[in-house]
Formats: sequence, C-alpha cells, structure tokens
Amino acid sequence: MNLPKLCSRLLPTVAPKLRHRRIQTTGHQLEGVAPELSFSEPNLVSVFRTSEEDPALHSETHLGQYYEIPPGHVQQLFPHGLPRRFQLQIKTFNEACVMVRPPSLELISCLKRADYSKPAQRYVLYGHCGTGKTMSLCHVLHYCYNQGWLILHVPNAHLWVKNCTDHVESSYNPSRYDQPKQAMEWLKNFKITNDHFLSKLKTTRRYVWTKREATEEGQPLGELVDQGLNRLKNSSDVVGALLRELKLQAAGGTFKLAVAVDGVNALWGKTVLRKMNREMCEPEELTLIYNLRKMMKNDWCGGAILTALSRTDALFKPLSAYRPSELLGEEGFDKMEPFVPLQTTSYNEKEFESCYLYYLDRNWLQHSHSLSEEGKKELVFLSNRNPSVLEQLCSFI
Amino acid sequence: MAASIYLPMLEYFMYYLYQAVVPRTVKMAEDQDWTAVYPTAASFKPSAVPLPIRMGYPLKGGVSPDKQGNLELIKIPNFLHLTPAAIKKHCEALKPFLTEWPSALDSDEKCTEHFPIQVQTKDFVSSGASLRNPNARIVTMKVPLSSLNLDDHARKKIIKLAKERYCEETDTLTLVTDSCPLKQQNYDHAMYLLTVLYHESWKMEAWEEDKAREDMEEYEWQDSPSQRNVVELLERTKGTEERKKDLLSQPEVQEYKDAIVIMKNHGETEENLLRYKEAVKKLYNI
Repeated sequence: MNLPKLCSRLLPTVAPKLRHRRIQTTGHQLEGVAPELSFSEPNLVSVFRTSEEDPALHSETHLGQYYEIPPGHVQQLFPHGLPRRFQLQIKTFNEACVMVRPPSLELISCLKRADYSKPAQRYVLYGHCGTGKTMSLCHVLHYCYNQGWLILHVPNAHLWVKNCTDHVESSYNPSRYDQPKQAMEWLKNFKITNDHFLSKLKTTRRYVWTKREATEEGQPLGELVDQGLNRLKNSSDVVGALLRELKLQAAGGTFKLAVAVDGVNALWGKTVLRKMNREMCEPEELTLIYNLRKMMKNDWCGGAILTALSRTDALFKPLSAYRPSELLGEEGFDKMEPFVPLQTTSYNEKEFESCYLYYLDRNWLQHSHSLSEEGKKELVFLSNRNPSVLEQLCSFI
Repeated sequence: MAASIYLPMLEYFMYYLYQAVVPRTVKMAEDQDWTAVYPTAASFKPSAVPLPIRMGYPLKGGVSPDKQGNLELIKIPNFLHLTPAAIKKHCEALKPFLTEWPSALDSDEKCTEHFPIQVQTKDFVSSGASLRNPNARIVTMKVPLSSLNLDDHARKKIIKLAKERYCEETDTLTLVTDSCPLKQQNYDHAMYLLTVLYHESWKMEAWEEDKAREDMEEYEWQDSPSQRNVVELLERTKGTEERKKDLLSQPEVQEYKDAIVIMKNHGETEENLLRYKEAVKKLYNI
C-alpha cells in the first residue's frame, strides 16, 4: 500500500518538508502496516489524528488528537523513558502515537513563556494512577527535544531506591552508597539521547578517579561519560560530576537544560536498601539520589525542572494518595516548592472517543461487540475512562 | 297486669344491654373531655378510642387488620394519656410550685451570655424495689471557651489539655463527671476541673519555651521553609538590591502565602491546588 500517496490525499496541508522526512525515516518501518487507514471516511481520521508532529505547534485545536512521534526521535529521545506498556504498543502498532491533552499543552505553553535567565522553574504532574502523568511528561520532553534542549531524563527515580542488591560504599564519601549498575545504565541512555551535546561541552575542572586516571579540565563531557561507562566503580560519581557540570554550564545560555524526573517522590521517601549494619538506607545516603536532589534545587538558571509523581512505585504510601503533599511528604514539599502543580485526569468524552477510534483504526479491538454503541458503553463503564485501564481492557478484546 | 310489668323490665334490660354491647366510641360526644377517657397510662382499648386505626402485616385481602381484637395495638405503648389537653392540665397543676422565668432572658444568646455554664443532669423515676438509679449521678457541664477570659497562649493550652473534650465547631468544652457516687459531688468535681483547667492554661511552664514548629496547631508562614524558598527565589530573580521586607510585601507573595496557608491548614483539595497553581504562575511571571 502506497502510504505516502495516501497521506498526501488525506492530509493535503502537510508541508512538503515534513512529508519528505516522513518518507525517509518511516519508509522501511511502515511497509508492514496493513491498509487500515479508512480513506473512505477521511473526516473520521482527522477527528482523532493530527498531522502536526511538532509539539511546539500543538494548540487547543489539537486537543484529544493523536500525533505521531517520528521513530528516529523515539529511539534517540526515549531509550528508557516510555512506560513499558506503551513500548509494547509501539512495537505492535509500528508507530508511537501520543494523545494531545490539556496538562501537557499547559506545560508547553508555560515553557514557551518562561524567562530562562531566571532560576529554573519547577513543574509537578500529579494525578490518579494511570491518568497519563508519564505520557504527558514524554510529550513535553519531545517538545524540548525538538527545540534543541539538553534532556536529562530519569525515567523512574524509584528504580534507584529499590530492587538493588549490589550497592556498595562510596569511595568518594564513605557515608554514602553507590549503585554502579543503575548509574551505568542511566549513563548509557543519557549518552544515546544527548550525544551531540557531549562533544561540544567541556569540563570546568579536573576530576581525579584513581592515582593514574583523571579527567582534565577542558575535556569534552563525552570523555567524562565514557569514564563512567568503562569503569563500573566510578559510574555513580561520574553521574554526580556530570550533573554538576550541566548545572554550571546551563547558566551560560548556550543550551537549555530540561531536568525530567518521573517518580520524583522517591527522592524524599523511604528506601528498601540495607546498609552494612542491616539498617535501612536513607535516600540521601545514596549517591545518585543525593546528586539528583541537588538538581531539584532552583539555584541554577537556563532550563526547567519537569517532574511527575508516581504512586504505583511509591514505597510505604497509602493506595489513595495522589496529591503532591501526600506523596512528596513534608520534606519533599518544602524542598520542591514553589512549583506549578498540573493535574492529569481520566479521559473526557472527546478524548475517550478519540482513543476508541484510534484502537478501531489500528484493528486492535477484535471483538465484534466492541464495534457497536453498546460495546462502547461497556468499555466506558468498565474502564471509567481511565487511560491505562482502557488500554489493558482493549488488549483483551 | 303481668305484661305491663314485664314490658318496662324488658326495656330496662334492653337499655342495660345497649349500654354493655354498644361500644363507648358511639356514645362519645365530639367535644368531650378526653382526659377523662384516658386519665392515666392504660393499654389500648378499641372500644374507647374513636379512631379507625389499622395495624399489622396485611391480611390475605391486602389490608392490615382493624383495631378490634388487635394484639399489636395492645402490645405497644401509647400516649393517649398525654394529649396536649392533658399536658396543659399537668402544667396548671404544677404552676403553684414554680417561679416565673426572668423576662430579661428572652433569647438563647442572652442566656449563654449571662449564664455560659450549662449543667445537664438526669433524674430517673421508676417503680421497683429501689428508688435509686446509678445513672443519676452523671453530671455533664458545657462551657463555651469564648466566655472564658483566655489569651492566645491560654486558649491553645486549654484546648491541648482538654483534647477530645473540646469541640471546634461549637467552641464548647464538655466535661462529663461520673467518678463520685453522688450527683452533688460530681457537680463539685466538674466545677473544680473547670477552675483548674482555667488557671493552669494561664501558667507558662519553663519547658513550654521549647515549643517547636511541629507542635504548632496551625501552620505559620512567617519563618517557614516556604517563606525562605520564596525569598530566595525572588532574590535570585531580582538581584539583592531589594530588602527582604519589600520583597515580602509584593502582592504576588501575599497571594502565594494565602494559598500555602490554606493548603497546609485545610488540606489539599482540587480548589486549593488550583489556587496554588495560579499563585505560583504569578510568582514565576508566566
């Protein structure tokens, strides 16, 4: 099926440059897509899909519509950032389509209007489980990426406070604990996202790793990252050094820094890692958490701090907690404020309609009953319009 | 001759039969004195109560059984002896033993203003072997704290001492005493407790100087980490030329302070969070 021709018939307003890019990057991947696009009803497609791929140009007219993140961007920007189920969905549908929703639009408009010579502004996305906090964050990160920002994305801060068996005492500061595997994993993904920056930015001081190894002043940051990737022992300290460098250099104005942390309540919660003396670790005793907390302070300028709370992975928090002060705790709230709280909610009617049509279009809803009005009402009732519940329900049908 | 004697006898017999067989409800006048029919508590007599009452689970026909021979109506207590007319008679009978209500106290507010302490006791009357009822010793004393002379520190201290005996909505302190065997003793005990609470709350102990931020009842924005954060933010934004007082007197800061104080004192709700969001946006100038 000649997809490009189809696109040009349906979406005549697409700029030629965009179309060209689409053909180049998506050609080999979209061959396998069956002709599901219902070109007999072109209006229906434009109800739930939009051709606008640049989040900077998204506006209220695009609310409720799906836009596609180009696969090249997906691989580079989100090596580890997308929710697991969404990654499976990308593999199945062969495309990464994200719905444009009010919280992310609001955040993007705030970012457009912000003054970057002032201290970094903090934004916190909160909401019930499964309402789209991580997805909204990813949408905003795509905007930042398109604008050429440096993305510092911690996909799930909770991964650093639990399920870690190999934490060791830090060589730099004996009262802290390193997590070499996690740090290396993160450095690897950071490199994938920001490779083009790492050759341009230089270190501002000398870092001594061992008697024989050191990173000199003025070396490109890429070397610093490679040091962490090659030497497992130093990877956590490399992360700390990297964060420090980026914080200092963002003020210079050559680039903008987006610090995106998902599950930011892990930084001030409890951990389940044990110290040598069998006591529980405090979060600040972990090097990675300690350094990330320093990034959360707004004593730097030239960027923004975008965060999302997460109840699903939170340790020792009640099931009903979803508001900022409930999940962040008193200490976290004091450290994070002033922040702009943005709430994500379940789908409204238009968004639900959009999601339903999208699944129909992708032939995801196989059951014949799901095509009828009654089937749709059943889906509304069962999922209560909660995005993740709806997604899991539809995977059964 | 015999027939003439028998006829009146028959009439008398019929008359008495009529009196016995026809129920009283038929013979009642509409303006009768009801208190004569039921002067005291008595069980329900269908022939004496002129009301077409039905009671009980519906019969097969679909209606509850009527009052004739209805055990349900007889079982339940009735208040036919306490109609308004009867109560009026009781009041008239009690009047010689009472004094008049003071004419100046004609509203509830005036009563609480002049007589803030309210004492509630219960007396029990029952027919039985003993006159005494142990529940009669309980004394409940209610005082509104606004009527007591308390300054800020004393008010907070008395609320902390009273714990759950203080109700915030009605601003009343309720003391229930039942530890002594007699009502008189319990009343004295309650008065003593009130006096002690009042005087203790005015005293300032040495260890009260150590009251920390966590012990405060309400959130105070002054010198809080929140205020520090805002001042730091503004200092970094505008440079250190302006003094702290000037920074804090700006309207955006006041709005932020209101939003935070409401959120901390009354909890987070959608409304509070929206307000906070607007305040922060103004602070950030977006």
